[in-house]
Amino acid sequence: MTAVILIDTFLLILVTITAVAIIEVRNLYASAMLTSVYSLLMALVWVNMHSMDVAFTEAAVGGGISTILLIGTLVHTAREEKPQKSRVHWKAAAVTALCGAALIYGTFDMPRFGDPKAPIHHYRVPEMMAQTVGFINGTPGKQKPPEGFDHTEYRSFNNTVADVPADPTDTAWRERSLMAQHGIILPKVNGHAPAHVEPGHTHPPDDFNGHVPNSVTSLLAAYRGYDTMFETTVIFTAGVSLIMLLRRPRREGYLQRSAPLVDQTILRVVGKMSIPFILLFGLYVITHGELGPGGGFQGGVAVACAFILFALIFGRPALYRVLPPPVSDLLTGLGVLVYSGTGAACLLLGGQFLDYSMLDLASPGDGEALGMTLVEYGVGITVSMVMLTIFNQLAEEQST
Amino acid sequence: MTGVLGIYNYWIYVVLMMIGLYGVIAKPNLIKQAIALGLFQTGIFLYYISMAVIDGGTAPIWTTIDDGAQKFQGPYDNPLPHVLILTAIVVSVSVLAVALALIINIKRRYGTIEADQIELMDQEDRLAEFQAGQTLDAADAAEARHHA
Repeated sequence: MTAVILIDTFLLILVTITAVAIIEVRNLYASAMLTSVYSLLMALVWVNMHSMDVAFTEAAVGGGISTILLIGTLVHTAREEKPQKSRVHWKAAAVTALCGAALIYGTFDMPRFGDPKAPIHHYRVPEMMAQTVGFINGTPGKQKPPEGFDHTEYRSFNNTVADVPADPTDTAWRERSLMAQHGIILPKVNGHAPAHVEPGHTHPPDDFNGHVPNSVTSLLAAYRGYDTMFETTVIFTAGVSLIMLLRRPRREGYLQRSAPLVDQTILRVVGKMSIPFILLFGLYVITHGELGPGGGFQGGVAVACAFILFALIFGRPALYRVLPPPVSDLLTGLGVLVYSGTGAACLLLGGQFLDYSMLDLASPGDGEALGMTLVEYGVGITVSMVMLTIFNQLAEEQST
Repeated sequence: MTGVLGIYNYWIYVVLMMIGLYGVIAKPNLIKQAIALGLFQTGIFLYYISMAVIDGGTAPIWTTIDDGAQKFQGPYDNPLPHVLILTAIVVSVSVLAVALALIINIKRRYGTIEADQIELMDQEDRLAEFQAGQTLDAADAAEARHHA
């Protein structure tokens, strides 16, 4: 833990310095490049805090896509910021200092960094985990209660102690749990017996949906399934907005101008060699989202990066031959359709919307894994195509 | 971990957020403002992820291979903030993209991306509109007198 804190302290100092430089540097290109540095540092901070999926996303999105978007915009707008009268805006400094002081005063009441007794590690966590990842406090092979954890401290809203059993095979508790009594619907388990697991089997020995070892993905797709579905819709909406704001009428053609770098031999050769592997990596990340770090968002961005690299080296005419804009527009919508369609399929099979265990009644854990993979593919298709559309639209704008 | 280091992360989150807020208020350049908004967001991300950390914990991916050796039995960090922030990052890049598209449209319309200049041009436009309206009113009045 000491090492974590030391690395954390060091990285966060670097992050702060970079943030000041981003705001203060006058050249906007320098500012955009510093944003990339900032994101990579942030990704290191996330790794240090064991947040692999977030680090993955930050590196792909912040370090890659958003820098390209910023530079693509700067080409059409301005290179330098207009000089200010004074270097420091004193009114803004005063407001932020006051606001910051108030917030820092508030941090003294926060639980200390990594404190196992912090409410976030107890409140509702056992029930949430039991619902989504087959995790129950005290289950052998699963998370042990943290040091100093007292079961009686875990209380629900009305100050009664929740009744989470220590026995993982006991699934009946879901029906008589506080959440069920309060009318909150719990995932249907149909009295599935815990799957028999051979020793050495790589799946966790678990009942419900323990076939999804990456709890981030299972929370993303199951516990917060609706939320993720609508976040995908938000991204879809962003793509549609970009098309409406910047795309020219079809009669003028999609292409205005392009500056391919095909005469650069090294770029061409290296690009040709690496693009298939970037694509493959993106697909790998999407497919294995439920097993390890990654998922639809990260993999989608990686796939988009491959296409963007192709467009940067060989020019957008070549990209449009491979993936015409009408096709990418259709795929953008298809991703959202795959996501909601998976939910609807669960509904048609007799379960609830996005209740993936319905997809494989014999082995609900496999059903969960299958549903999550499908959903991740939906997210991945939408994210990659929207990122590509955004890039195309920003690059298409005529240089001024 | 107690003492200052125990809340150090929360201080940095405040500092990052305030740097972002300062940028949004103090910099008239619209692209700078969009970047500063991103900094503000990362401050909040840092706050969430810092809360998820648990002493001696590791990434919330269940270790599954039991090869006879001592199996890791937790604790794992809380995955819920990770999920929230993971989607928030992707939404933030969508927000940035829409902001940049709007900025490009503003540049097309005004020829500049400095907020104070845009404000000035808007005022001039309004003034010109107002004066045009006045001359129009005067013309109307003259015409009315003529008919009378």
